Amino acid sequence: MHIRRKAKTENATTEKQETTSTRRRGASQWAVGWRRFKRNKAGLAGLFIVLFYVFIALTSQWLAPYPPRSFLSLVQGENGEPPSWKHPFGTSKAGLDIFSEVLHGARGDLYVGVGATIVTVIIGLAIGAIAGYLRGGSGDFILMITQVFYTIPLLPLILLFARVFMILVAQGFGLTLILLLLGFFGWPTISFVVRGEILRIRELDFVKASQALGASRWRVIFRHIVPNTLTPVIITATLLIAGNILTEVVISFLGFGDANTSTWGITIQEGITYMRTEWWTPVFPGLATLFAVLGFNLLGDGLSDALNPRLRD
Amino acid sequence: MEPLLDVKRLKTYFFTEAGVVKAVDGVDFQVGKDETVGLVGESGSGKTVASFSVMRIVPQPGRILAGTVMFEGEDLLAKSEEEMRKIRGAKIAMTFQDPTTSLNPLYTIGSQLAEVIREHQKELSKEQALEQVMKLLELVRISEPELRVKAYPHELSGGMKQRIAIARALASGPSLLFADEPTTNLDVTVQAQVLNLLKELRQKEKMSLVMITHDMGIVAEVTQRVQVLYAGMVAEVAETRSLFKKPNHPYTEALLQAVPRIDQRKDLKVIPGNIPNLINPPSGCRFHPRCPYAKDVCKQKVPPLEVTDDGHLAACHFWGELSLMGA
Repeated sequence: MHIRRKAKTENATTEKQETTSTRRRGASQWAVGWRRFKRNKAGLAGLFIVLFYVFIALTSQWLAPYPPRSFLSLVQGENGEPPSWKHPFGTSKAGLDIFSEVLHGARGDLYVGVGATIVTVIIGLAIGAIAGYLRGGSGDFILMITQVFYTIPLLPLILLFARVFMILVAQGFGLTLILLLLGFFGWPTISFVVRGEILRIRELDFVKASQALGASRWRVIFRHIVPNTLTPVIITATLLIAGNILTEVVISFLGFGDANTSTWGITIQEGITYMRTEWWTPVFPGLATLFAVLGFNLLGDGLSDALNPRLRD
Repeated sequence: MEPLLDVKRLKTYFFTEAGVVKAVDGVDFQVGKDETVGLVGESGSGKTVASFSVMRIVPQPGRILAGTVMFEGEDLLAKSEEEMRKIRGAKIAMTFQDPTTSLNPLYTIGSQLAEVIREHQKELSKEQALEQVMKLLELVRISEPELRVKAYPHELSGGMKQRIAIARALASGPSLLFADEPTTNLDVTVQAQVLNLLKELRQKEKMSLVMITHDMGIVAEVTQRVQVLYAGMVAEVAETRSLFKKPNHPYTEALLQAVPRIDQRKDLKVIPGNIPNLINPPSGCRFHPRCPYAKDVCKQKVPPLEVTDDGHLAACHFWGELSLMGA
């Protein structure tokens, strides 16, 4: 392992010597990261899976043979049938075309997974940055609140809120409701990461130097400190998308989701009763969930390997 | 002649949870025009905190409690934060110890130098700033500046980074530069380059230089005057030559004896013990627990800073009686 590593670095130095005379532009951290990422097969696989899902989610309304939550096959007398050419993933007892539902589900679940993560990152960045920048009592207080939020068992709480609000909100907004709930309760993870990074970075010499050379407080925070925390935030956020997708599936599976929108969880929930006789109804959306979570996790790990300063030579 | 910088009775304490750390406890020091002064002491002696105090960038939970910092005839401690910001970088600048972290990894060299230039000369266009960046890079002898300007810090060597950090400190032509251990993290060969560069720049740019260091070799090499700090207080101030020839404070003697010499086959003398805990510093003279010449009076009375027969300033009760060894 050690020998291999050494050989690699030697390689890198000769490469560097060659390029300094010929190359024009310096390589930013992102460029260096991408160069490392390209060599990581698992990470690339994750990236392709994620891109594939994004493509499906964006085009599902044209790709899917049936509209979302359409029980048409019941009318056509084709409900409860195993996979066939007409219905590649079969149809459910109630008449859903599972192939269409899996495609539409990608749209719903990516919407929740990515959307909730964006909400989480915005809240987590703001709170983590404040907690990291304020010293003493007020910073500790914010940290304490973050820890309290982190300790609360999320699932029952979200289920409770989902049930209460699902009755109140207008139909069709159920998925957005779950998105917001996941976002509002998920921020501590990001907040911890940001706070820790800020505590580390603010002690580095370049922060002190920019202060000593006349930079204003805002410039120090927003040009020098915060951008340096983004790498771990991006990594954590990618892994968080996987977690949020999984949680959405769990919520829907438990029957607290929005029955008017296609998601993998809803389809699994509706099909699980007939698992013995109609295995295709829960299995295909289950596999879709599995690969989505796998894809985002592989991508997150790949990003972590490529961008993590600890491992950089 | 009035000194460029005149610090008097400066006190900077850190209010930590464990107690009040008296990091700088009544320090006086002067820097003349075009002078190179060495600020010497072990880690924790207060040399860095003293320079941070002059620039008013003492990190939390530190506070400047007392003293005056007269710079070009004005008291910096009485200035507002906004006024201070115009002085930092423009008139007083600083370089830092660790070249690996003293540049922001996210931006190119050019962008980081231009940032400092435009902070103090807002009327400059981007092109004009870039022109100045190139001049600065040439000033600190960076080869192929048109290439380096677009490079990121991780693509440069430690010595190069340190020279760029020096260029950044010089961006607005300061009249006083604090160099905090500028060579500590560099290879020996590169150390000499950086030292010569600093020496040369000080003359060319007509500024005063304060070398913060614990390396007596560097002190001998570049400084004209030395200020020895121990545990947040001044131990001795003297012309460099005179100090090396005949120190007047036992701590200075110990520092000089702790420098390895190749021409004398002797065991290296180390200073016993550590720098004291500055929450509860020793009574009397703070050096007495480690001082080979300590007597009872050293435990009770803080020695005043007195002018000695050699023309030094020394804070020792027995400067008149001891005959100490130089280097």
